[in-house]
Amino acid sequence: MTQRRALVVDDEFHIVQVVAIKLRNNGFEVTTAENGDIAYRLACELNPDIVITDYQMPVLSGIELIEKLRQNPATESTPVVMLTARNFSVEDDQKQTLRISACLSKPFSPREVLQTVEDVLNQNATV
Amino acid sequence: MGNVKHIATAAVGLIGIGAMVCAPSLIWMLPAALMAAAALAVLGWSAHNAQHTAEQTLDGVQQSVDALNEQLDRARTQLGDTNLKLQLVQRSKSNTEAILKSIRDAVLVADQQDRIIMANEAAQRLFGFRFDPTALPSLATLSDAAAFVPLMQKSRTGRIAHVRHEVTLPRDGQPAVFDAVLSYVQDDTANTGAVVAVLHDVTREKEIAQMKNDFVSHVSHELKTPLASINAYAEMLVDGEAQDEDTLKQFCTIIQSQAQRLTRLIDDILNISRIESGLIKVSKDQHSMALIVRDAVEMIKSYAQEKNITVTAPAAILYDQVVIDRDMLSQVVINLLSNAVKYTPAGGAIAIASELNEADNCITVTISDTGVGIPPDDVEHVFDKFYRVEANNKMAKGTGLGLNLVKQIVETVHGGRVFVTSTIGKGSTFGFELPLAAENVKC
Repeated sequence: MTQRRALVVDDEFHIVQVVAIKLRNNGFEVTTAENGDIAYRLACELNPDIVITDYQMPVLSGIELIEKLRQNPATESTPVVMLTARNFSVEDDQKQTLRISACLSKPFSPREVLQTVEDVLNQNATV
Repeated sequence: MGNVKHIATAAVGLIGIGAMVCAPSLIWMLPAALMAAAALAVLGWSAHNAQHTAEQTLDGVQQSVDALNEQLDRARTQLGDTNLKLQLVQRSKSNTEAILKSIRDAVLVADQQDRIIMANEAAQRLFGFRFDPTALPSLATLSDAAAFVPLMQKSRTGRIAHVRHEVTLPRDGQPAVFDAVLSYVQDDTANTGAVVAVLHDVTREKEIAQMKNDFVSHVSHELKTPLASINAYAEMLVDGEAQDEDTLKQFCTIIQSQAQRLTRLIDDILNISRIESGLIKVSKDQHSMALIVRDAVEMIKSYAQEKNITVTAPAAILYDQVVIDRDMLSQVVINLLSNAVKYTPAGGAIAIASELNEADNCITVTISDTGVGIPPDDVEHVFDKFYRVEANNKMAKGTGLGLNLVKQIVETVHGGRVFVTSTIGKGSTFGFELPLAAENVKC
């Protein structure tokens, strides 16, 4: 079985690190990025199985990153899990338009992130 | 004839008095007296009979005059009472008008035809008109009152006894929020009524409530950020995700550093809150400002060296004694220095300068860096609570409380002044001014 590849994007070092370690320890190959711009380039280059991104980031926000991913045929169907700060929420229609698979509100549990990523990938595999 | 003349004169006088006091009950008696006196004069009775009849008539007239005098006295007393009551009513009216005029709330009364029948000074200022009781302007003529007039009309048509509305109206060119209490006052005898409106400006209360909400929101968000990390890494430890000694140590270090961050944050919030409420314990003594700067530089030195930033401090200035709380002032200098290091790229420089101003009896300390600088729009806000310069967020993490604490300590606790100047891409200069210890200046 090929190793599943995840791209984790957040400008908060501790968040990136804890999510990356949790996923690596559970069989994922993880690449990290500190903003949407770097993440987009890495996504085009690596074509990950899933992207886990923060909502608020410098240079290119989470939403802008997903918009760019959806415009590129290579990444248009890559599932995305979004991490949002407490006071930010993604509107349902925006979620549908951008095909955001799941949103998790900070503070989250690493277990919860892992479970959500597994669920999304399993759903995609079934489809 | 002399008596008749006197009586006629008295009667005429009485008519005058009667007319003056407006006592119609007295007037009907007077023509009889006049007629009697006139009859005496015209008929020319014999002396004896005439004298007897005249005496009887005069007795009757005397009785009538006495009765008139009694009624006149009563009328005078009533008139006095009425005048007193009138004065009291006028005084009460003047007091009410003075109260209405002096209160800061706008008070406006409109009648059944939406005519303004009373408006105090505050109402005239708010709605921009001069009230003229002879003109009775219509509510519709009030400027910028589109949000208010329909509420008055609704109270009138619905005859609503009391109702409360929140209305936004322009005040001095700015929107202001008013708590408007509208009361319909019914006049049962005339089957009519009026609407009394009292408008209380609650803009400041609203702002304070909003500030409190923002503060609670900021505090909880800031407290949750390190807590989230502590929680996540603790969970990782529980789940055995730290698979080697180094990772285990790293997780524990992160938990420790985030716990320290949480402690600092809580300390800062508590200190600001205590200073603002005047509850902080301040222990002021005379100290040398140069020594406080020197100690702060020592504390920050290793942090600056990590980024290869040079820090230069001035030589001690003579007579730079200030009466301060040493721990608090040390925190001021450390906060300013650590900010300078945070926002200065590697290889930069920080220069500390201090200057005595004996004319103003104060010392000025400045900390200049070669950092990223602050956008002009942000400069005036950098000392605000929880304010962070969005453009520089990437340079360093922070709570937005450090500079506010600096301001509170310098200005509120020590009666000094903080200031900042900045140029994007070139650097910033933060400084503060403190009064010198009076005794030492004289030395």
